[in-house]
Parts: sequence; structure tokens; C-alpha cells
Amino acid sequence: MRLRKLLPTYLMASAYAFLLVLPLFTLLSASLRAEGDLYAPGLLPPHPTLEPYREALSRYPLPRFLLNSLLVSVAVTLGVLATSLLAAYALTRLRFRGREALFGLAVALLLVPGEVTFLPLYLLVDRLGWLDTYAALTVPFLASPLGVFLLRQYLRTLPEDYFDAARIDGATHWQVLRHVALPLSAPALGALAALTFIGTWNMYLWPLVVTKSREMQTAQIAVNFILNEEVARWNVVAAGAILVLLPTLIAFLLAQRAFVRGIALGGLKG
Amino acid sequence: MRRRRGELLTALPFLLPAYALFLLFLVWPALEALWLSLHRENLFGRGREWVGLGNFQEVLARPEFWKSALLTLKFALVVAPLELVLGLLAALLVYRPYPGVAFFRTLFFLTTAVPTAVAAVAWGWFLHPVGGWANRALAGLGLPPQPWLTSPDLALYTLGVITAWSGVGFTAILLTAGLQNIPEEVLEAATVDGASPWTRFFRITLPLLSPTLFLVGLLVVLKSLTAFGQIHLLTRGGPAESTMVWIYRVYQDAFFNFQVPLAAAEAFLLFLVLLLLAALQFWLLGRRVHYAA
Repeated sequence: MRLRKLLPTYLMASAYAFLLVLPLFTLLSASLRAEGDLYAPGLLPPHPTLEPYREALSRYPLPRFLLNSLLVSVAVTLGVLATSLLAAYALTRLRFRGREALFGLAVALLLVPGEVTFLPLYLLVDRLGWLDTYAALTVPFLASPLGVFLLRQYLRTLPEDYFDAARIDGATHWQVLRHVALPLSAPALGALAALTFIGTWNMYLWPLVVTKSREMQTAQIAVNFILNEEVARWNVVAAGAILVLLPTLIAFLLAQRAFVRGIALGGLKG
Repeated sequence: MRRRRGELLTALPFLLPAYALFLLFLVWPALEALWLSLHRENLFGRGREWVGLGNFQEVLARPEFWKSALLTLKFALVVAPLELVLGLLAALLVYRPYPGVAFFRTLFFLTTAVPTAVAAVAWGWFLHPVGGWANRALAGLGLPPQPWLTSPDLALYTLGVITAWSGVGFTAILLTAGLQNIPEEVLEAATVDGASPWTRFFRITLPLLSPTLFLVGLLVVLKSLTAFGQIHLLTRGGPAESTMVWIYRVYQDAFFNFQVPLAAAEAFLLFLVLLLLAALQFWLLGRRVHYAA
């Protein structure tokens, strides 16, 4: 009875999910086809082969591109977590003049669309001599107004007693941060980490303008490069794209709850 | 009072990393964006002169600028409704628990994990004139193949579909949270009163969800106004400048035409539009909408 009631839902969800995933599926299918089979009909490759992957990996330093993306995304994520938690702690647990104004500044900066400041930011990074370095890809993003905002809101919901008890026992603020605030903020930090990681991994315009040499390019820019080099060999392009997709896909599957939480919490900034 | 000042010194090392970075990499560039747009210089030239609103006058007098602004508006009007409908459909299918719902959630939310470049390549192949499945499906229905990305009449819409597809996961997540916030009792009461599923959806769910829908719609518009990666990968603003949206023109003018002051003025105008929308969104958020964590 219950199953019969659910049947329409299953049918609709399956059909819709199939259509949504179809472009990714045909990409995967193309990446497993030899050049001669590329235009052969059928959703599945007639003679599956890993040759396009071997080709993509031998012609392009894909591991280097992926490593660049990984280094940059991990560095930015760790930086955002650290700077945000520190600032959020001061904004909630310490009392000083100007505290609300500083929080207000973070809120105001939430409204500044990063995509349109890329031009002056580019000129600044150029003056600092950072073009084509990891510094250009990471340092400007090590602090995030969204991070400060989310963690401040989260810390405010934690019971004061935990913090007071630790202070009465003689703990310094650094110790309270390390042993009370940090473990208690784990869910918010996880959500922020997921959001920051995927946002950094997906950056396109910025790495495009600040990287020049092949060795500094991130995986996303590499996809563009491979697409331009391999005009007709879509199987190699597809293999490269699938290799670039894998890390985020795995991260998403492993930490789906944190991702969903991060997006639901940070949705106001996108 | 003495205690307050004492804690400011304690607070400084906590605040300094975040706020120093904010000042250097957010506040400063935002101010410099304004400063640049009020001066004139070449990226490789020397000396800057104050031109007041001269750059803005020049930008506003260019027909290409208005063409780009209009294309951007058109793009947002394609992306936003499509992404909202697609996202709502996904959210409606997974917001209530049932056996297997986690599987479908994963599939519907999946596009959030697909990098822009990968999405663009996947669609580039999907819409390929010869090997692509879109044209094969049309052929199966006895319809002629379409020049999805190579026709000036079609390219912007195609990019709109791709952008909406990329955003479905994001929209579905937010709308799932929104749907879960609608009290179950209201819908149960309506069922007891004999309301049909359609009546319940259009008379109860949709009106109760409308603040969330509006807010998410605003977010989608904001994101679509700065869509860049997929355009750069697939059309480069063409064919015949038919996808030369605002942000792409800024990029083009700054890095290919070397007209930095004009690009800065264009960027600043876009900045104002985005700021206005973001402020509206924030004001609405503060007023009534709360997402469940």
C-alpha cells in the first residue's frame, strides 16, 4: 500500500534525476571511448577504454593542475576557518568599545560582490609582485566576511556557562578558544569549510587573470586550456574534465551533510 | 570602563588577521574601483588624470555597453525562472522523508559539486553538433539539429539553460529547507477538509513558500549577473557578441582592449546594481526569512 502510494514519487524522481545527470553521464561515456567510437550511437561506450585518460594524463600535467587547486583550496579553507573563528570569538566573548561597529563592517562587506572588485584587486596583486604565484591565488581570500558572520552567529547560540566556567577556572582566552569554542563550533566550522572549499575550487575568473605560466594554473583553467588544444578529440577533453570533477565529487559525497548545511546557512551570500 | 579598554587589547590579536585582510583585499579594492573609474590611464601608460564622471559618461554613451546591459538582463530573466522551477521540482520530490530519499537528494544536489568548467565541457559535448545527445534526441523525434551555441539567436538561451542546470542543486537545497519549514499541520488540516493535492500546492504550499522563493530568486539573479566561466569556455562572448554580458565586457575591455578606466567604470556600475540587489536581499532576510540549519 505504502509502496503504491510512493510509486509516482519514485517514477518522477528517477526520470528527473536521469535528465539532470544525463549531460554528466554522456561526458563520462565520451571519456571511455576510443577516438573511432566517439560518434558511435548509444549511451554506453561500445568498447570501453581508459586510453583517453592515459592520453590526457600524458599530454597535460593534470596532477600538477589538481595539486594546485587542492593546495589553494585547502589553504584558503584553513585560513578562513582560523581568521573567522578568531574574529568571531572576539566579537562574541570579549567586551570592548566598537565591537558592534566591527561586526557591522563584516556584515557590510558581505554585500560587496567579489566578482566586480577583481580589476582593482588584480592591479593591487600586480603591484605586490604576486602575479603568477600561490600568494595571488590564496592570500586575498584568507579572510571571509561570511565566515565571520556565520561563526559569530553560531557562537552566540552556545551557552555562556561553558565559557564562564573555563574562565573562572583560570583559563586564558586562547585556552578557552582552543578547548571550548573550537570543539563546540565543529558543526558550523564543518559547514563553513565545505562552503569555502567548493567555492575556492570553483573559482574561475580570478585564477584565469592572475596565472600566466602553465605550472601555476588551477584545474578549472586547465580544462579551458585542454578544450582549446584538443579541438576535435572530445574523448581526451572529457577524460580531463572527469579527472577535474572527481575530487569535488568525492568531497561532496563524503561530506554531503556539511555541504548542504553550509549552503543552507550561507545561502544569503551564495 | 577600564575593563572595556583592557579587553580591547586582548581582542586585537583575535581581530587583526581577519580585519587586516578585509581592509587590504576588500575595502581597499572597492575604494580603488571608484578611484580608478574617476581617473584615466592606460594599463601600460603613465600618469593618471582626474576626469570626474567622464569615464561614466563615455561608458553610458557607448551602444555596446547598453547592449551588454540588456543581454545581462535577458540572461537573468532566462536563468532565474528556469532555475527556480527546476529547483522547486527537485525540492518537492525530496523534502519529505521516504525510503530512498537520500539517494535522490544526492542526485538532485549533485550539480553544486560540479565545477563551472566541468559543467561547461559536459554541456559542450552534450550539445555537440555531431556527437551531442541533444541533437540526436531531436533527430529521433524527426526534428532538425539546432546550432545551440553557434547561432546568435540561440546562444544566450543555451547558456541560460546551462547556468540554470549548474544552479539546480543550490536552489534545490535552499527550497528543500524552505519547504521543510512549512508547518505540516496546515497541510494536514487542508487534507482533512478535502483539498486536492493541486489545491494544497497552489493555495497553501506556494503562498507560504513565496518569501523564500523570492529570496532565492534574488540570489539566483545575483549569481547570474556575474556568470563568467561558462561563457568564457563556451562562447567567448560570441557569436557576434550575442553573449557579451556585462561582466564579460568588463573582462574584455580590461584585459584585451586595455581600456582600464572604462572597464573600471563598467565594473563600478555593475557593482552598484549588485549592491542594490544584495542590500534588498539582506533587508528581506533581516525582516522575516530564516533558513533551517
